[in-house]
Amino acid sequence: MSLRTTALVAGVIGVLLLAAGLIADAQRPPRDVTPTASVDTAVVVYEPEMIAFAADNRIGFSGDGAIVGLTARPADAEAWLAEHDATYVTGVPDWETLSTDVAEPAPSPSPTVSPSASASPSEPEPSPSPSASEGESAEEAEPVDLLAEGSQDHWRQDWRGSGRLSIVASEVPAGEVLVVVSQDGTPLTSADLALTRDVQDGWITPLIWWGAFLTAVGVIALVLRFIDLRPAQAKGEKWIADRQRVGEDDEPTPGSRRARRAAGEHLPEATLEDEDSAPAPSAESSPRRAATAASAASVAAASAPSSSAPSASSVSSTEDAANTDADADDHPGPDGEEERS
Amino acid sequence: MSHRILRVAGVTGVAALALAGCVADVPAPVTSAPPLEASGSLLDAQSSRIIDETMAELGAADDERDTGLMTDRVGGDVITIRGAEYTLANADDGPAPTVLPDEMQAVYVSAADTWPRTMATVSVQPSDDDTPIVMLWVQEGIDDDYQLREWAHMIPGATLPAMPGPSTGAAQLGLEDSSITPTAQEAIEQYVELLLAGEGSDLNDAFAPDTYRERLFAARETYVDAANEADGDYVEKVQPDLDASFAMATADGGALVFAPLSITSSFTVEGATVSIADEDEPLLDGELDDAVTHTYRDFIVIHVPAADGDALPGVVAAEHNLIKVSDS
Repeated sequence: MSLRTTALVAGVIGVLLLAAGLIADAQRPPRDVTPTASVDTAVVVYEPEMIAFAADNRIGFSGDGAIVGLTARPADAEAWLAEHDATYVTGVPDWETLSTDVAEPAPSPSPTVSPSASASPSEPEPSPSPSASEGESAEEAEPVDLLAEGSQDHWRQDWRGSGRLSIVASEVPAGEVLVVVSQDGTPLTSADLALTRDVQDGWITPLIWWGAFLTAVGVIALVLRFIDLRPAQAKGEKWIADRQRVGEDDEPTPGSRRARRAAGEHLPEATLEDEDSAPAPSAESSPRRAATAASAASVAAASAPSSSAPSASSVSSTEDAANTDADADDHPGPDGEEERS
Repeated sequence: MSHRILRVAGVTGVAALALAGCVADVPAPVTSAPPLEASGSLLDAQSSRIIDETMAELGAADDERDTGLMTDRVGGDVITIRGAEYTLANADDGPAPTVLPDEMQAVYVSAADTWPRTMATVSVQPSDDDTPIVMLWVQEGIDDDYQLREWAHMIPGATLPAMPGPSTGAAQLGLEDSSITPTAQEAIEQYVELLLAGEGSDLNDAFAPDTYRERLFAARETYVDAANEADGDYVEKVQPDLDASFAMATADGGALVFAPLSITSSFTVEGATVSIADEDEPLLDGELDDAVTHTYRDFIVIHVPAADGDALPGVVAAEHNLIKVSDS
């Protein structure tokens, strides 16, 4: 399988991964959910267990009028609720709904629904309550302040809202019952609980990135499939061949590096010691002194009238310089004396 | 075309299935209720609100000297006693009603889950001449407000026992609760018996000394002597009101017993006309002849110590309230 075919296969896989990732991203479940329950009573109750379950989350209630949230000791709340219709929020069976349980008061007639309630100032009923449609007698019921009709000594904390009441569950003291009341007695409409859940979707983003990368690889391979690269390829191969081809008959261009290499410039200078003569004056130990000695030798050779090496080339080796120097020492002349001074 | 649709559907389905497994389950429900942080029936804020509303209502009634303004927060014997005080205060140079401070130095709340419940307070000292006042509020039911029902000045030198704080509340003891000895009802009945019998009774040693009964015995002796001098008669009756009596447990296992008493003292002479003190005249109902009856509504607070202690039960607060004078 050629490289291009492999890239094309990777591109197809990338398209699939990218599509799966984008679809998954579009359908990614939200972390914040709000299970909700419909309510048809003027009183909704969260018992201590449900308050503990809600923890730091927010409990919400919706209604048409003033809504009051109150807390009480369980015994006190139970005594008060024994006289009122109430919806108890009992749990969260799934992420969408709250389970509820409606409790009716004891058989004794409740003053909350009796038309003969205490003579509180009558106000025009803004809208008939849902229960009023069940019978004509219910239409005569007037809003009753559920809280004003009895003592409030047992209520410990209170929150108030209009149309909507939201309470952080952790603000309710542990062990106390939360009782939420529609103050005018009209039924509340819904209760909800805002929760944050754990969604394990960390694989979606890497999937999208890998899909995009492989798709790009495939696209590149596909594009190259439709472009004729042979002229450019031939040109490049020729250039490479030119760089690599060296013929035996080719003469290096004078002055080029090749010519200098051929002349042996790159070879290191070496000094061969003459067994009969004294050791060269520290040419090995000190290159500077060796160079000085070579320079002095060349001067001496140039000034000596009976030089033994008049045909010395301009390129003299260290060995020659050493020998010349030695000769100069063996045959000192006036110039040699003058040079020493 | 159909293959493409199938492919897209397949990818979508796989993604949906994968995502369905990505959401954590709903947390398990909490099956046991956390313990109540403050199990007392009233927190400080609640008791303060009750006291403030009570004193506001009482103050409004005092300003008008009208017991009709005592509706929600003031009830029981306070209305009767305050009515008598208003009557006396309306007379020329009449005494002012008893000052009930609205500042409390201690509040004792009940831990009861049932009704009736009580709340007792100890006020600051009203003046240099008066001792602090013990007040009793009663709540009859969940729909009823706590009402101020009784008050009594502390007996000079008496100390109230330590009581549980608002976070736990004091147990509301029944009158026959045997966790204390004697029971609350026995303590009340024995003390009433002591009041009737006088200081010569064997029960006199069963209770710690208190100035309340000393003053009662002294007054009785005066009346008896006067009756004897006038060939008359003096009869005193003391009756407990157990239905209006309550007991709250103290921190050491004892109890504070709150007991109203009804006392009538009838003074009769032969062939003469009785007279009463001028300051009591406004309370006279009728025209005096040879008999007069004073009616009192008293309130006592008995401390019954823990059973393992050596201390005696004793009255720590008491109030002697004249509410009526009649001619028979």
